[in-house]
Amino acid sequence: MRSPKKGQTPYWNSVLETLPLETLRELQIKKFRRIVEWAYKKSKFHRKLYQEAGLKPGDIRSYDDIAKVPKVEKSMMRDIQRKDPFPYGDALCVPLEEVTEFRQTSGTTGLPVYQPDTWQDWEWWAEAWAYILYAQGYRNTDRVFLPFGYNIFVAFWAGHYAAEKVGCEVVPGGVLDTEARVLKMQELRATAMMATPTYVLGMADTAKKKLGIDPARDLSIRRITCAGEPGASIPSTKQRMEEAWGAKVFDHVGATEIGAWGYECTAQPGGLHVNEALFLVQLEDIDTGKIIEEPGQKGKVVITALDRIAQPCIRFDSKDVAVWSEDPCPCGRSFRIIKGGIVGRADDITKVKGVLLAPTAIEEVVRSIQGLSNEFEVVVTKKGDLDDITLKIELLPDEEARREGILAHLREQLRLKTNLGYNIEVHPFNSLPRYEVKARRFKDLRKHG
Amino acid sequence: MDRRELKKINTRIKTIRKAAQELKDFSGSIPAVDRNAARILASAKMLEINISDLLEFTSRN
Repeated sequence: MRSPKKGQTPYWNSVLETLPLETLRELQIKKFRRIVEWAYKKSKFHRKLYQEAGLKPGDIRSYDDIAKVPKVEKSMMRDIQRKDPFPYGDALCVPLEEVTEFRQTSGTTGLPVYQPDTWQDWEWWAEAWAYILYAQGYRNTDRVFLPFGYNIFVAFWAGHYAAEKVGCEVVPGGVLDTEARVLKMQELRATAMMATPTYVLGMADTAKKKLGIDPARDLSIRRITCAGEPGASIPSTKQRMEEAWGAKVFDHVGATEIGAWGYECTAQPGGLHVNEALFLVQLEDIDTGKIIEEPGQKGKVVITALDRIAQPCIRFDSKDVAVWSEDPCPCGRSFRIIKGGIVGRADDITKVKGVLLAPTAIEEVVRSIQGLSNEFEVVVTKKGDLDDITLKIELLPDEEARREGILAHLREQLRLKTNLGYNIEVHPFNSLPRYEVKARRFKDLRKHG
Repeated sequence: MDRRELKKINTRIKTIRKAAQELKDFSGSIPAVDRNAARILASAKMLEINISDLLEFTSRN
């Protein structure tokens, strides 16, 4: 039996996590200036970018000056990579000999971006994740199972190292299939795991149907950390996961090029804390570019990793959309909260039949309706000049008798939450694609003719 | 935790950095010393991020 230390604090760093906002701001400005100076000195790409904007690191004196620094987009990184110093190109700020880690983005939106890290950067990745795990209650009493493919994608790699740093016992569930993973979790009485929401639901499904194991009853998992998709911040999806596993489900947000920058704490205030000691996160009005400080207004997340050195992430346009929360968190952290996590993607929010639609809104409706399976697919096409939107769903096997009632409720909720009418297609149970990593359930075929 | 305690921690962090840097410089032809010292320096940086970077601001609180 692993025993807890007595009198443990709820914070990984009680000093930084409870700093007054003004002090945090001063710290961020100091660190922002330092990373800009570093990139200006060490990277041709950044120096050229800043010189073309007429900016020198010394010009950054106040918080308002930060907005003068040009933003970087993923497409710019693609353009400079696969050149010397191979394969990273001239955003690399350290000699190649100092790079110890390679990861790459998934390539969902185009050519993958390569991410080099030094050992210090890798320590930093684990440090950022340690803030997350500690805030979510991971301690040296946990046996953590990681059911993901340990490969070129960063996924839960840093979660693994952070769990070790926090003092947990880590079980790597790499090349096992889903059934073997479930059985290993049962055999070892694992207490926590990390996975995408899609896989959390898929594992529970497999456990029940193929192994006759009810994760909530037969396993010891009490804590799950999600990443990769917004599901753990969508209340209906979170509820499905928590019921299936009998565990608390926590969200976190991060990206290969950025790091792990936001997390839900055990108080679960309906949003994610931004780690403002390690990252500078600004929300920008999508149309005007104005920095949004007030709560309640949606903005695009522009983010700086304040301590990452091999390939710095400075004013990175993440395309994620978020909203500041007005409420402080009962956990006592002063790190601000983005309400409801990532609420959309600037490049995902699309107009269908003249109405702005975020795919997460459809997920919230589908997952809130009893009798539907976890899987669905949305296809937008054009019929003549008109948009057409089809929602494919599956009824659970024993719900056929309630079919008409379920569909009527689904139509009503979709109309209410998205202001759109859909063609609903009911597919046989288990016939829609199942995903282990980033699910692609929204297909806009209008762009392809 | 008050500033005095933070300063004490910071003093130790500086000592670790200095010792690890010296080890690295003295490592000569022993990679086992050079690379392990490099890892200690990376850990020292995490301590600096957590404590040292903040010190100049806490003096005013």
